[in-house]
Amino acid sequence: MSGVATIALREFRAFFQLPLGWIIVALCLLGSGFAFTNATLIPGQPASMRDFFAFWWFILAIIAPSISMRLFSEELRSGTFEPLMSSPVSELSIVLGKYFGAMLLLIACLAPTMLYVGVLGSLTRPDYGPIFAGYLGVLLAGALYLAVGLVFSALTSSQTLAFLATMFVLIGVELAIAYGSSQLPPQAARAVSELSANARIADFAKGVVDTANIAYFVVVSAWLVGISAVILRARRWR
Amino acid sequence: MIEIERVSKQFGSGGGGGLGGPSGGVMAVRDVSLSIGGGVVTGLLGPNGAGKTTLIRMITGFLTPSRGRVRVCGHDAIEDSGPARRCIGFLPESAPLYPEMRVSQFLRFRASLFKIPRAERASAIDGALRRCELLDMQDRRVGQLSKGYRQRVGLASAILHRPPVLILDEPSSGLDPAQIRSLRQTIRDLASEPLDEATAKRTGLSKRVVLLSSHSLPEVRATCDRIVIMARGQVRAAGAPDELLEPLRAAAPWRVEVGHPPETPASLMVSRTQELIAGVASRVLSCVAAPGNAVIARLEMASPSISHQSATTHPGEALFRTIAGAGLTIRSLSREEPTLEDVFLAAVEDRAHDALTPSLSHATSPKVFA
Repeated sequence: MSGVATIALREFRAFFQLPLGWIIVALCLLGSGFAFTNATLIPGQPASMRDFFAFWWFILAIIAPSISMRLFSEELRSGTFEPLMSSPVSELSIVLGKYFGAMLLLIACLAPTMLYVGVLGSLTRPDYGPIFAGYLGVLLAGALYLAVGLVFSALTSSQTLAFLATMFVLIGVELAIAYGSSQLPPQAARAVSELSANARIADFAKGVVDTANIAYFVVVSAWLVGISAVILRARRWR
Repeated sequence: MIEIERVSKQFGSGGGGGLGGPSGGVMAVRDVSLSIGGGVVTGLLGPNGAGKTTLIRMITGFLTPSRGRVRVCGHDAIEDSGPARRCIGFLPESAPLYPEMRVSQFLRFRASLFKIPRAERASAIDGALRRCELLDMQDRRVGQLSKGYRQRVGLASAILHRPPVLILDEPSSGLDPAQIRSLRQTIRDLASEPLDEATAKRTGLSKRVVLLSSHSLPEVRATCDRIVIMARGQVRAAGAPDELLEPLRAAAPWRVEVGHPPETPASLMVSRTQELIAGVASRVLSCVAAPGNAVIARLEMASPSISHQSATTHPGEALFRTIAGAGLTIRSLSREEPTLEDVFLAAVEDRAHDALTPSLSHATSPKVFA
C-alpha cells in the first residue's frame, strides 16, 4: 500500500510543480464560477445549487481529461515508465497510485468551490444536504471520468491523443444518451439514460444519495482502473 | 547472481523463424543462456539492435520473456518479481528522470518505492549523493541539470537501496571524457566493494553483480572484467578479454620482414619470398616490397591446435627455417596480436563460429561468470 501512497503523492505534487496543475485549477474555477453566477446567484430563485451542479458534467469532461492525459502518457514519452515498471511495485499499485494522485487534484479543484457555498450561506439559508450530496455526485462522476482518462493514458504516449480520446468519449457518450433518449421508445430510453453520469449527478443535486448511483460510479471506475492495470501488464508481454 | 536460461523474446506476432519472422514478428533475443556472478564488472557488448536492451529489460522484469526464464538472486523475474526487482538497481539508457522534481525529492521517492525503512532513508540518500558527487546538487531541479549530472542522479537512484545486482544500460552515453572516467571508477568500486552482511546472507553473494551494456568497445574494455558479445539477438562470445582473444591469437597472422641486397630487384625478391612462404603458409595474405630493401609478408600458418604441441611443428620455426634455409635474411618475424576489436568484429560478422566457438555460450551449458 505504501507504493500506492508514494506514487499518488508524487503525482499530486508534480501537478503543482508544473504549470499544468495550476491551469487545471484555474480552468475549473472559471467554469464553476460561471456556473455559480449564472445558475445560482439569481435574485428570486430558490437557495439551491441544483442548477450549478447541472454544469458539472461538462466541466468534468474538460478537466478530467486534462488531469488524466499525463498520468501514463508522459511516463511513456519521457522513458520514466521503464524505471517505474522495474521497481518492486505491482501494476495495480502503480495504476492506483496514479489514479489517487489524479483524484487528489480533482479534490484540490473542487475545494475552492466550497467558497460558493459560503457565499450562498451568507446571502440566504440554503439546505446544505442537497449541496453536499451534489458535491459527492460530482466527486464520484469525476472519479469515473478520470478512470476513463486513465485507460486512454495507459494506451498511448501522446498526451494530446489521450486528452482528445477521453474528451470525445465523455462528451460523445452524454450526447449520444441525450439523443438516444429522445429517439428511443420510453422503456429503452430509460435504460439508456441509466448510463448518463449527468443524470446521476442531477439525482445527487436533488439530495438523493442513492446507493445504486454510488455503486454505478464505484463499480465502473474500479472496472476501468482494473483495465488500466491489465494494459500495463500487457505492455510487459508486447 | 543473474541466471538466464534459454531466454528468447519475440516482439509482435509471427512464427519467429528469423530476425523478421515469417509472420512479421521480430526475434529480438534468441535462446540466450548466461550466468553472471558478483565481484566483477560484466559488459554486454554489441552493435545497436543486438538485443542488449531487450535482454536487460527481461532481467529487470520490465519485459516478460517469450520463452525461458530469468532468475535474480534466486528469485524468478516474473513469478517472484517483487523480491527480484528489489535486488536490482537499474539505470536505464539516457537516465530518464522526472524533470520537475528536486534531486533529493526524487531520491526520497525512489527510496520509498524500494521500501527502504524510514529510519534508514536519510543515510541511504546521503550515501548515494556522496558517492555520485551530488551533494551540491541535491536542491536543484532535475530538469536544470546537465546531462552528466542527470546520469549521476540516475546512478544514485540505482544504488540507493544498496542492491546486490546493478544493471547499467549505456551508462556513459552523452558524457564527456572526464565524466566517463569518473563513472568507470565508480562502477569498478561498486563491483569490488563487499556487500553488507545482511544482503550477503540473503543473496549468497559476497560482492555485487554489475552488468553494463554498451555498444562502445573502448568503454567495455576499460570497465569490464568479463565480456558478453551479442549480435542479432544471440550471444556470440563470452568470457574474460584474454579468454576471448585466445582463439584469435592461435589463428593470428604471422609477419615476416625479409631483407635483400640493394642490387637485387625488389620484384624478384617479392616473387622469391612468395614462393618460399607458400610452401609453409596455409594462406598468404600479402607480400609486398617495402622501403629499405625489404619485403614484408603476412601469412596464416597451420592449425593453431598443432602450434603449441610440438616444437618440430611450430609454425614460426617452420617459417624461419624455410626462409633462412634459402639464404635470405630475416629482419623480423612476429605474430600480430589480436585486439578485442577483432574479437568483436569476428563475433558480430558471424565469423564467431569458427574462431570463437570455445567461448560461445550454448543454451544447454550457460557460460558462468563468477
